[in-house]
Amino acid sequence: MIKTLLEVDELTATYGQIEVLHGIKFHVQPNEIVVILGANGAGKTTTLRAISGMVETTGSIAFNGDSIIDLEPDYIVRKGIAHVPQGRGTFPELTVEENLRVGAFIRSDNEIKADLDSCYETYPVLYERRMQSAGSLSGGEQQMLAVSRALMSKPELLLLDEPSLGLAPQIVEGLFERFKKMNQQLGTTMLIVEQNAQIALAMADRGYVLESGEIAVEGEAKLLVNDDAIRKAYLGG
Amino acid sequence: MDLFLQRLFDALTNGSTYALIAVAMVLIFKATTLINFAQGEQAMLGAFIVLQLWKWGIPMWGAVVIGMLFSGILAACLERTFIRKFDPADHLPLVIITLGLFLVINAVAAIIWRFDPLSFPQLFPSGKAVTIGNARLSWYSIFAFGSCLLVLFTLQTLLTKTKIGLAFRAVSSNLESSRLCGIKIGQTLQFGWALAAAAGTLGASIYAANPVLQIEPTIMLRALIFSITAAALGGLDSLWGALLGGLTIGFVQSVVVQYIPFIPNEMTLAAAVVVLLIVLTFRPSGFLGTKTVERV
Amino acid sequence: MAPKITLTKDTPQYRNLRALMWISLVLFFLLVAFAYVDVGSIAIGSNKYNLSLIRLNKAIAYSVAILGLQVVVGYTGQIALGQSFFFGMGAYISAWLVADHSWPFLLTLLIVIPGCFLIGMILGLPALRIRGLYLALLTLGLAALFPTIVKLDSLYAYTGGAGGKLTTNKVTGSQYKFAPPSWLPLDEIAQALQNIPLVGGYFGDGPLSNREESRMWKFILFSLVAAFCFWLISNLIKSKPGRAMRAVRDNETSAAVSGVNLAMTKTISFGIASALGGIGGMIYVAEVGIASPDDFSSLVAIYLIVGLVVGGVGTLSGAVIGGLVYALIPDWASSTQSISFVPQRWLQGPTGSLILGLLLIILTLFMPGGISTAAKKVKNRFVIIQTQNKSGIV
Repeated sequence: MIKTLLEVDELTATYGQIEVLHGIKFHVQPNEIVVILGANGAGKTTTLRAISGMVETTGSIAFNGDSIIDLEPDYIVRKGIAHVPQGRGTFPELTVEENLRVGAFIRSDNEIKADLDSCYETYPVLYERRMQSAGSLSGGEQQMLAVSRALMSKPELLLLDEPSLGLAPQIVEGLFERFKKMNQQLGTTMLIVEQNAQIALAMADRGYVLESGEIAVEGEAKLLVNDDAIRKAYLGG
Repeated sequence: MDLFLQRLFDALTNGSTYALIAVAMVLIFKATTLINFAQGEQAMLGAFIVLQLWKWGIPMWGAVVIGMLFSGILAACLERTFIRKFDPADHLPLVIITLGLFLVINAVAAIIWRFDPLSFPQLFPSGKAVTIGNARLSWYSIFAFGSCLLVLFTLQTLLTKTKIGLAFRAVSSNLESSRLCGIKIGQTLQFGWALAAAAGTLGASIYAANPVLQIEPTIMLRALIFSITAAALGGLDSLWGALLGGLTIGFVQSVVVQYIPFIPNEMTLAAAVVVLLIVLTFRPSGFLGTKTVERV
Repeated sequence: MAPKITLTKDTPQYRNLRALMWISLVLFFLLVAFAYVDVGSIAIGSNKYNLSLIRLNKAIAYSVAILGLQVVVGYTGQIALGQSFFFGMGAYISAWLVADHSWPFLLTLLIVIPGCFLIGMILGLPALRIRGLYLALLTLGLAALFPTIVKLDSLYAYTGGAGGKLTTNKVTGSQYKFAPPSWLPLDEIAQALQNIPLVGGYFGDGPLSNREESRMWKFILFSLVAAFCFWLISNLIKSKPGRAMRAVRDNETSAAVSGVNLAMTKTISFGIASALGGIGGMIYVAEVGIASPDDFSSLVAIYLIVGLVVGGVGTLSGAVIGGLVYALIPDWASSTQSISFVPQRWLQGPTGSLILGLLLIILTLFMPGGISTAAKKVKNRFVIIQTQNKSGIV
C-alpha cells in the first residue's frame, strides 16, 4: 500500500472575512504529477498557499502522515515541500546564483555546489546569466530559475502555481517537457495549478477541477481530457 | 578659497555622522520598508552606554564595541516586542510606535544621565593632519570619514558573503518568496535592527567624539532630520546611497547655505527639509535607490 | 452580569435619555468651571496635582488641534504629523493682530481660519503624490521647520524672534480683557453653589474676583468655540464630503473608482485640519499670553499625535480626551515628587514625555482604538442601541 504523500481533507481557507475554499478534499501520491485546473478566482492559488501555510485554514493537511496545517511556512519547507509561487517569485535584486543559494537556505550539507552545477547543466542559460540580477531575466528564464530554486531545497513535493502564465507557447512546451523529465528521472512529486488545461492534462497523472472553492470534477488525466464538460469549459470544445 | 576648503572639510565631518545614521535607517528600511523615527535616539542611548562603560574603566574602543553590541541586542528586543506584532503594510501603527520609542528612549537617557553636557572620550587622535593655506583638515575628520567607509565595507561584506546577509537581502527583495524558501523572517529582521542600532551607535559615538562637542541627550535630535534626509536623498534602500546622501547633506549644510547670502545659519534645517520635500515629491528613489518606491 | 438595556433610536424614550445626557454634561461642565476657577489641586500621597481653568483652557486648545488631526488622519487616513505648524501659525497670527492691531481675539479667527486653511491646502499638495510614512516624514520635517521660520530676522517685526510675541497690546500696554457680559449671573451661580451643604466648600468663598471672572469667561467662550467646531465636524463626517474622506481612508483605489475626487478630498481635508489647528493656536495664545517658537516645535507635533492616539483615532470624543491628556499628564508627571516604590531619582527629568511615549506604545499595542473606543466597548456591554425597522416594530 503506497503511503499517500499529501492528504487534504475538509480544507477551508479564508482571507479575512471571505471564505475562498469551502472544504475541499484531494490527495497526491508519491511520484505523481497531479494537476488542479480552474478558472480565475476558483481558488487554485489559495489551495497551494494553504498547503504552504500562508493562509488561514481549517481542516486537515497531512504530509507523509504528519499534520502540517498549523505550521509556519519556514517549517513546512523544511518538511520537504517547495513552492514556486504565481509570477515566479524570484528575488529581482539578487543574482541568479544568489537566488539559487536562497533556495538551498534550509540546507547545510556539502552538496549544494554539486546541485548548483547540475542545475546549470539542465539550464545552460542560467549558467550564462548566473551573475546577472534575476530581474533582468526574461519570463521564461525566470521560470526556469524559480523552479530550479525550488529544487535546490531537495523537496519531496513540488508545488507549482501557474507556471505557464505569461509565457510564449514554445517556452511553455519546453518547460512542461522538463517537468515530465524531472518527474521521471528524479521522481519529484508535483502538484501543479494551471489554467492551461491542455498542456497540463497531457503530462499529468491525475487532475482535479476547482470551481468557486469546491472540487467539481476529479479523475485520471487521460479521462478528464475526454470529458465533455471539461472540453467545453477548458479545452475549447 | 581657503574658506571654501575649510567648509568642505567641515562637510566631511558632519556628513560622515549623518551617513552612519542614514545607513542605520537604510538597513531597517531595506528589511521592513519602515522608517524608524527612533533611530537617532537609539544611537544617542548607545553613545551614552559607551560613555558609561568608559567611565567605569573600560578602554575607549572596547567600550565602543561593547556599546554597539549592547544597543544591537536592545534593538533586537525592541523589534521582537513591539515591531513584529504589526502588519508591515500598515504604516500608521508602526510610525506611531517608533515615535513612542523616540519619546521613551529620549526620556530614559535624560533621566539616567541628566541634561548636563558631558565629555566624551576622544576616539581619534587630535590635531590637524593636513593644512592647505588656512584650511585645516583635522585627524578627527579623516578618521570619521574613514570609519564611515569601514562600516560600509563591513556591511557590504556581511550582506554579500554571509548566509544571514543573504537572508537579509532576500527578505528585503521579496518577503513572500523568502518565507517559501524557509527563511525565518523574524530572526532576519531582528538581525537587521541589531545591525542598524550598532551602526547608529557608532555614528553617534563618532559624532560625540568631536573635540568641539559634548554629549547630552538632545545631541541627536537635530541630526535626525539631516540623517533622514540623507537617507532619502541617497535612496532609502541603498547603503552606499546613504553615504552619498550624508556627504551631500553635509555639503549643503556647510557649503551651500553659507554661500547663499540672505539665508541665515538657522536655515540649514530648512534647507534639509526642502531637499527632503524635493526628493520625496519628484524622485523618491533618490540617487541610488531602486525605483519601485511607493507612489500614489 | 448586569442586564443589558436596549434602546431604540428615535423613540421618545431614547430622545429623552439623550437630552438628559447632554444636560448633565453641561451641568458637570459648569460645576467643574466653578470648582476650578481658581487654581485647585488634588492631593495624592505627598503629591499635589494642579487642576485649574488655565490648564483646562490649554486642554481646549489642544483638543481643537487634535480634532484637526482627527479629520486628516482619523477620517481621511493621511499620516500628516505636522499639526504643530498650524497650531503655531494660528497663535502667531492672533498674537500679532491682538498686540499690534488691537483686534479682539475672536475676531482674529477671520484671518486665522482662511490663512491656515489655505496654507494647509498648499502644504498638503505633496500628499497627492506621497503616501504612508513618506508623508509622515515630510510633515514632521515641515513641523520641525516652524520655530526656524518664526525666528527669521526678516520676520522679527511680526514674530518677536526667539523671545516670542506677547499678546500685550502695543498701544495700551495691557493685556486683552476678557470681560464677561454683565447679564451673566456668574456671582449668583457661584453663591448658589457655595451654599450647597457638604460640597459648597469646593466652589470657593464669596463672589468671583475680576481675574476669576475673566478666566471663567475665557473658559466659557473657548468651550463654545470648541463645541461649535466639534458640532461642525460631526456634521461633516455624516455628509457627502465626510463619506468621501472615509472612502479615501479605507481604500483609495475603490474610492477613486466610485467617483471620489481624490485630490480634492485630500486637499480639503488638509485645509480643514490646518484651520482647526489654527483655531487651537488662537485659544492657546489667548490663554498663555505669549507665542514663543519653542512652544510649537516638532515635539509638540508628536505630543499632539500622542493625544490623538490615546484619545482614539477617528473619534470625536478622542480629541477631547487627547487634549486633556496632553494638558494634564506631563504637568502631573513632573508634579509627582514621590511614589512609594519608585526611587526619587527616577521622578526627576522628563517623566512627562516618558509617560506619553509609553502611553503611545502601550495603547497602540493593546488598545489601538484609544480610550474612547475602549469606553464605547464598555458601554456596549450594558446598553444596546438599535434602530427601528420601517414598520415601527422593534
